[in-house]
Amino acid sequence: MATYARPVERLISELSKLPSIGPRSAQRIAFHIVRGRKEDALGLAEALREVKERIKPCRRCFNLTEQEECDICRDPRRDASVICAVEDPYDIGPIERTGEYRGLYHVLGGALSPLDGIEPEDLHIAELIERVKREGTKEIVIATNPNTTGEATALYIAQEVEGLPVRVTALASGLPVGGDLEYADEVTLGRAFAGRREI
Amino acid sequence: MAYIRALRLVNFRNYADATVVLAPGLNIVVGDNAQGKTNLLEGISFAVTGSTPRTPNDSETVRWGQDFTRAEMRVALQDAGDERRVAIGYAPGQKKRLTVDGAPVRSLADYAAGGAGVRTVTFFPDDIRIVKGAPSERREFIDVLLSSLRPSYARTVAEYAKVVQQRNQLLRRIRDGLSSPKTLSTWDRKVIELGKTVLAGRAAAIEPLGAFLESSVRALYGPEKAALRYSYSAPLENYAEALREAHSADIERGTTSVGPHRDDFEVLLGGVNLTTYGSQGQQRLATLALKFAAREYIRQQTGEDPILLFDDVMSELDEHRRGYLAGYFLESTQSVISTTNLEYFEDEVRRQARIIRIASGSVFEEANSNASQ
Ligand SMILES: Nc1ncnc2c1ncn2[C@@H]1O[C@H](COP(=O)(O)OP(=O)(O)OP(=O)(O)O)[C@@H](O)[C@H]1O
Ligand SMILES: [Mg+2]
Ligand SMILES: [Zn+2]
Repeated sequence: MATYARPVERLISELSKLPSIGPRSAQRIAFHIVRGRKEDALGLAEALREVKERIKPCRRCFNLTEQEECDICRDPRRDASVICAVEDPYDIGPIERTGEYRGLYHVLGGALSPLDGIEPEDLHIAELIERVKREGTKEIVIATNPNTTGEATALYIAQEVEGLPVRVTALASGLPVGGDLEYADEVTLGRAFAGRREI
Repeated sequence: MAYIRALRLVNFRNYADATVVLAPGLNIVVGDNAQGKTNLLEGISFAVTGSTPRTPNDSETVRWGQDFTRAEMRVALQDAGDERRVAIGYAPGQKKRLTVDGAPVRSLADYAAGGAGVRTVTFFPDDIRIVKGAPSERREFIDVLLSSLRPSYARTVAEYAKVVQQRNQLLRRIRDGLSSPKTLSTWDRKVIELGKTVLAGRAAAIEPLGAFLESSVRALYGPEKAALRYSYSAPLENYAEALREAHSADIERGTTSVGPHRDDFEVLLGGVNLTTYGSQGQQRLATLALKFAAREYIRQQTGEDPILLFDDVMSELDEHRRGYLAGYFLESTQSVISTTNLEYFEDEVRRQARIIRIASGSVFEEANSNASQ
């Protein structure tokens, strides 16, 4: 049962696959695009295409990059002895903005969750441990989300590197429990960084 | 002491739009069957805690044929003259919208733990299940009580439930060969960390609650000694060990067999377990006494007297106990008590109370009733 012309229906259906966009928002956005200027819509299409063609995971830290290695990994001023492990690439932005952290990152690609069938093998945990051994990392700061799955992931990593000469710390509490790093404000996140603790 | 001045219910149960003015002290809600007395008490509780105590399914409170419900409340605070205005809007499937003095409240747990400026202790006739029913009823009673005092407890209980769910799924996946057991010890550590916090909260409360229960039972029932006894599925000092020892059995069954989600507490009268052996009357009185104990505990912990919302509590009691209860309610900071029969309250009690008449979802306050402030 199509209410609108097929291309419009298709756009709505593609948009509603996006996270936090329900059918009503999808419809609103679709009509915004239909009504808007052609250049804007093609600009969006081009941006989508470019991102899929040019962006790939950094071979060292799995952050997103156009190069083989991301800007942060290639920056000689960063402290390469510290790695901050985050769940997703978009967790890096908020941490960078605190100005508290000068080390490198490692994007895990999610968090352990039996309910979602996510096992250690589905995350870049083995690569993290490899890196720690290869790069002689002195500290891993685990900055997974302060919720059930994020904290379990942090504990698991700590268990896995036991015996290696690396210190494992986690962000200090103060972050809202059950929350997402993405939404934490800079002050809270900055303070959490400054007060990170061993786990 | 803080109390509720007025409440407005919009599309709540059988109320289309009704405002009720409440007085400090005793408020008697009177009306025939099926007019909305229970719904009014539920509405007050909804406004105070942000959810209904009667059902886990909040959408049942939305008036039939409507798509949202709303409650607004004015609370007189401890400092005379100071007032708090709270509002809660709810449409099924959407996040609740809570405001205190116009400012949005983000966390329901924070709101439920005194965000409205008052707390409540409710009694509904089917609360007898707390004494009579399954262990989960008693766990819920104590968890709701502790959550009303500390939002961090509410969050820990919720997180604990999530971690147990994750662990249970992992157990099933291990059983079915979908997961390796290597992350099990990780989830065990999370379970223990949160479970210990829950246990510590309950353990600290059970003793004072038991003492308050004992004196309430003495006043309500007789000289027989009442007590509460917490029963652990795994003793606190070797919780971790018990969880580890249960690994293979847990994997086989696909559930976590020890921890606070499997605990219970016994309600004892003269050493006899009332859940198993109590008569209907003993179970009802013990339920009432538990509610009185909850009030005393809140008072002890916060220094504030919670508002008592007791539904149809008089009908089941003999005259002597009705007299005792009337006195108890008159002395409270505020209580809202429903009845079909005003005769249950003596003339002298009625004179001191505010009488609120309810008929098919409308509120009629008696002209000669104790004026509100
Ligand atoms: N969501 C709803 N929308 C509209 N009406 C409802 C809703 N939920 C319950 N009701 C109706 O509200 C009426 C009043 O219910 P309530 O339980 O408050 O009565 P009561 O005055 O406490 O009666 P009783 O003395 O029998 O306990 C009931 O007849 C019920 O059908
Ligand atoms: Mg009723
Ligand atoms: Zn990189």
